[in-house]
Amino acid sequence: MRALWSQWKADLLRTVRDRRFFAFTLVMPVGFYLIFIHIQHGTLQIAGTFWSAYFMVSMATFGVVGASVNTLGVRLATERKSGWVRWLRTTPLSSVGYALSKIFTQMVLSLLIVVVVFLVARLDQHVSLSAAKWIEIVLWIWIGSVPFAALGVLIGMAGNAAQVLGTMVYLALSLLGGLWTPIQVLPKTMQEIARVMPTYRYAHPAWGLLANRGIQWSDVLILAAYTIGFVALAAFIQRRMEAKPEAG
Amino acid sequence: MAVIEFDRVSKRFGTKEAVRSITFRLEAGQAVALLGPNGAGKTTSIQMMLGLLKPTQGTVALFSHDPAHPASHDRIGVVLQNVSVPERLKVKECLNLFRGFYARPKSLDELLDLGGLAEDADAMAHALSGGKTRRLQFALAMAGNPDVLFMDEPTVGMDVASKRHFWDSLRSFVGEGRTLVLTTHDLQEADLMTDRILVMNHGRIIADAPPEAIKMQFGGRQVKFSSGAMGLAEAIKSWPGVLDVQVAGRQLAVLTQDSDALLRRLFLDGHDIRDVEVGGGGLEEAFVRLTREDAPV
Repeated sequence: MRALWSQWKADLLRTVRDRRFFAFTLVMPVGFYLIFIHIQHGTLQIAGTFWSAYFMVSMATFGVVGASVNTLGVRLATERKSGWVRWLRTTPLSSVGYALSKIFTQMVLSLLIVVVVFLVARLDQHVSLSAAKWIEIVLWIWIGSVPFAALGVLIGMAGNAAQVLGTMVYLALSLLGGLWTPIQVLPKTMQEIARVMPTYRYAHPAWGLLANRGIQWSDVLILAAYTIGFVALAAFIQRRMEAKPEAG
Repeated sequence: MAVIEFDRVSKRFGTKEAVRSITFRLEAGQAVALLGPNGAGKTTSIQMMLGLLKPTQGTVALFSHDPAHPASHDRIGVVLQNVSVPERLKVKECLNLFRGFYARPKSLDELLDLGGLAEDADAMAHALSGGKTRRLQFALAMAGNPDVLFMDEPTVGMDVASKRHFWDSLRSFVGEGRTLVLTTHDLQEADLMTDRILVMNHGRIIADAPPEAIKMQFGGRQVKFSSGAMGLAEAIKSWPGVLDVQVAGRQLAVLTQDSDALLRRLFLDGHDIRDVEVGGGGLEEAFVRLTREDAPV
């Protein structure tokens, strides 16, 4: 526990000092929100709610996916490449402790992103929801981010390619999952593609909550399947990598 | 008490056999060097001691436990090769991070002192110079007040002054009755720092003895001199203690276990020799001979 706490403190500190993180994961969703909300009117009706609230959820999920897939992936890749992870494995910090620290750090960041985007939407567009509704949506976006953390871990194994791969996956998933453009206005093929994207399945329940629809089990199941897939693939690659020699 | 036990340990990477069925015990309080050329299997061995690699065959125990288990890591400190320190952490934050991992850590001031980093406590660890980075790595390895210190090629790339300072720190560590395990291809380092040397080559341990014994057994000293006498080189080869005689023009280079006896006989027999030089020997020659004689299988 002590070891985990120590690692978590350091991880949080390093994240706060990471300018890349702020540029990519806070400024982007907030900036996009402000730009796109003023192109289309926020009072536009969409999927049983207002565009201002709908797009608020889009950008919060977009931000959380970015922090998980891109920022976490690059950070993990750097730590692996530098041999730092290997060194930590010789300390009393267990690999479970290391992973938990990364996950907890990621959770704090996700919460921060969601709260900031929601605050901006509230202040700029006067998005108003009941207290219970705010909490439900924040909790869903927070907890539903788990598969993307797993995807971040997977991308973290890509070594030098992690940065490019992370950015590509992040942007592709956001675009195809309907986080930028609502799928309602997309061609039918694109809508079908969106329905199998984890990003769509992630944002869909939150959009549903806005329109007073409940969380659908199909969304939860598909996200769970993605999580298992990413974790299994990461474990497989990890085992392959351990069979390789170091110098000397 | 055994700190490390290897029982018929082999490690294969694909078809390459990095370590071939080695068995040894390291006792508490020993200072041990794994010595050998690149690719001898030293780093693979030390990584198995630390649980970073699993042996293909045989068993490795650290404090009689599985080295991969984090619980056995509370009493060890480690310096690995090719490891950089994390970005965006200050020196003191790095040290506190590691201090938090161990049950009985050394104080921050003590660690800053050990690494000679008191003035750099608030500097970003990642921006330190090469030499200071190495010192920080040493301080991090000492964070848990370890009973056993593992170092993989600790002084590669250090300048002479840093090496001296570093060796002094290690000597006081060993002086407290603690255990040191280091890999090196720097023979002087092995000779200075340790009381037991395991010489490795091609994945095997080809010698296991104190530095003096290794030098005696395989090294000897080199005596060089000029002489015009015909047949002297041939005659010396059969003298007791002589290991090797090289002739280059008028100059003879004799490798012997007992340079004093050789010189006494040369002078007493009245040979006309000049420009006598006695030197070398030591571990350098021992090492070259050892690894040359142990041809790959």
